[in-house]
Amino acid sequence: MFIELLFLTSALLTVGSAIGAAVTRNIMHSCVFLLGSLLGIAGLYATLGADFVAVSQIMVYVGGVVILMLFAVMLTGGKDFVSRAQNLLGLAPAMGNKWTYTIGLLTALVVVLTNVKLITNVVKAYPAKVIGNDFPSTVNQIGHLLVKEHVLAFELSSVLLLGALVGAAIIARPRRQG
Amino acid sequence: MTPAQFDGLMPIVILMGIAVVMFFGGHFLTVLLSPKKPSHLKSMPYECGEIPVGSAWSSFNIRFYVVGLIFIIFDVESVLMFPVAAIFRELVDMGHGGYALIIFLSFISVLLEGIGYCWKKGDLDWVKSYQVSLKNNK
Amino acid sequence: MNQTIVSYLSQYEFYDVLLNLFGNNQGLLAFAIYLIVALVVVGFCATVGGLGTYAERKISADLQARMGPNRVGPYGLLQFLADGVKMLTKEDIMPYTADKFLFYLAPLLALVGVFATLAVLPWSSGFMMADLNVGVFYLIAISSLVGLAVFLGGYASNSKWSMLGGMRGASQIISYEIPVTLSVLAITLLAGGMSFGTILSHQEGTIVNWFIFHNPFAFIAFFVYGIGAMAETNRAPFDLPEAESELVSGYHTEYTGLRFGFFALAEYIEVFVVCGVGTALFLGGGNLPFNISIDIIPTQFAQVVIFVTKTCLLYYVVIWARWTLPRLRVDQLMSVCWKYLTPIAIFNLVGCAIWLVMFNGKSLADLVFGSH
Repeated sequence: MFIELLFLTSALLTVGSAIGAAVTRNIMHSCVFLLGSLLGIAGLYATLGADFVAVSQIMVYVGGVVILMLFAVMLTGGKDFVSRAQNLLGLAPAMGNKWTYTIGLLTALVVVLTNVKLITNVVKAYPAKVIGNDFPSTVNQIGHLLVKEHVLAFELSSVLLLGALVGAAIIARPRRQG
Repeated sequence: MTPAQFDGLMPIVILMGIAVVMFFGGHFLTVLLSPKKPSHLKSMPYECGEIPVGSAWSSFNIRFYVVGLIFIIFDVESVLMFPVAAIFRELVDMGHGGYALIIFLSFISVLLEGIGYCWKKGDLDWVKSYQVSLKNNK
Repeated sequence: MNQTIVSYLSQYEFYDVLLNLFGNNQGLLAFAIYLIVALVVVGFCATVGGLGTYAERKISADLQARMGPNRVGPYGLLQFLADGVKMLTKEDIMPYTADKFLFYLAPLLALVGVFATLAVLPWSSGFMMADLNVGVFYLIAISSLVGLAVFLGGYASNSKWSMLGGMRGASQIISYEIPVTLSVLAITLLAGGMSFGTILSHQEGTIVNWFIFHNPFAFIAFFVYGIGAMAETNRAPFDLPEAESELVSGYHTEYTGLRFGFFALAEYIEVFVVCGVGTALFLGGGNLPFNISIDIIPTQFAQVVIFVTKTCLLYYVVIWARWTLPRLRVDQLMSVCWKYLTPIAIFNLVGCAIWLVMFNGKSLADLVFGSH
């Protein structure tokens, strides 16, 4: 009962905020709606029992990426860069004309239907297997996987992050004039 | 997770709900109790008595953005380190302490390289970052 | 496995009586218990937050040889209630240039972020609302909502003071999250888990079993955590986002009445939470001394009292620091975080890992006194 309610709330929050983020004309509001969407996704992870992933989602996206996006928007001066032109019932900012939207909708429908078709077959072929019963929590399971089977990925991810850090530092560095 | 363990999520949701109820309840009370005498002067952004010139929403210094970028990298690193740290003691008790230590230290050493690089290149300096990086870009 | 207040109460007989009352609906009863406990905790924390403002003014008055509030109630104790009523009856003013949606949303985010952290606060071994497996990690993650609220509050006001305060606040909060997280990681290493139950169970017994005395690195980590936590809650000497002598009031300059009250309440509760986490991680939490293992409801209350006392002592230190230390400059703030605290925190983390492997997880006291 509780889980169903939690799922429903999270799903509504995710979808509603995502629609809000796409429809709003103010780029700051868009970022904040995105925050709601990301929180909703964390809630969805939590209903699946993936507590560590849910908290990581909050930690990285809500605590980090959204703030970084807000900073990035502030680099451009915030609200002054709002797009005034609009299309499609006056709701969305001008990202195309009605043909763009129609084709986008059709493509989305085709992609979703194909994916559902594919996934149902896979799910039917491999019924859900309960794994990790010998671990007290998902954290321990993830930890053991990280140091045993996926130790190379764990170490390489740190190198990847080092690359990202150096790249970020270089890009953000002010250039010499002229 | 067994259904009973999901109960751990219930207090979080309840507390968030209380926060929301408190917020709107407080707002309702304010509407009931507080005076409403709006005036243009009153709702002017406060600038110590001067009439504000222009909007506060102007482009900000890139230093804030750099701090945000470095933060995210460290954030992701700590997310990856948490599960390993949680089982570290278990591994030590099982006698795999040396192996765990090597994995953990090699991960952290890469992190240290990153912060050392940023330090050396002056990205961690708040004021001098412009001059220092000019020197480095020559 | 993980103790919560519901699972704790379920070992007593009156739980079955209650269960019958709720028509054997486990979920509904759990909801009712959690709701009551949540209301009690929120009420308690709001009172502590309110008394925090009183304590702050009284202690600062003591330090500066003044009287402090002394009119409302005995020794001015009811000052915070008077302040609350005053806030309720103040006119609600919003700058006409403000971003209305975000202006409303920002205090709500701060409140939600702070209240959500209360769920995992370990009041005692039995009276925990939720002992998540990701306990401390969850707490760090969800409290970052407050940083977002500070930024949005500053942005939405569209006042120059607020905007500066908001930008400073957000960058300060995210920066100092790094040393705090790394110090918490060191404790996660020592405890072998992130849940507060695991962390506290390793610190049972006498004072030498506290994690602060586990090894020299943990001792340093406590101070790194303390400094970082002070900065994360915007307390002086790190109160740049609301520096009253340079930014009027920082990110909440334009907030009036109850919405300002929500920001202030969130801030004071956050200080309490941060002190409570420091207590639980480093100072043994609410553990009774000398392994008293009688588990009846009075001992649980004794644990709560011990926990709150330790937390209030830390709270006192935080206030003390605020009124004795001068404020840092922005560049000093950033260099303290990135050039001192973060490397020290990483050093502590490495030190703890090496210590664990070298001494097979024994603490300093185990080595000296030779127990086990």
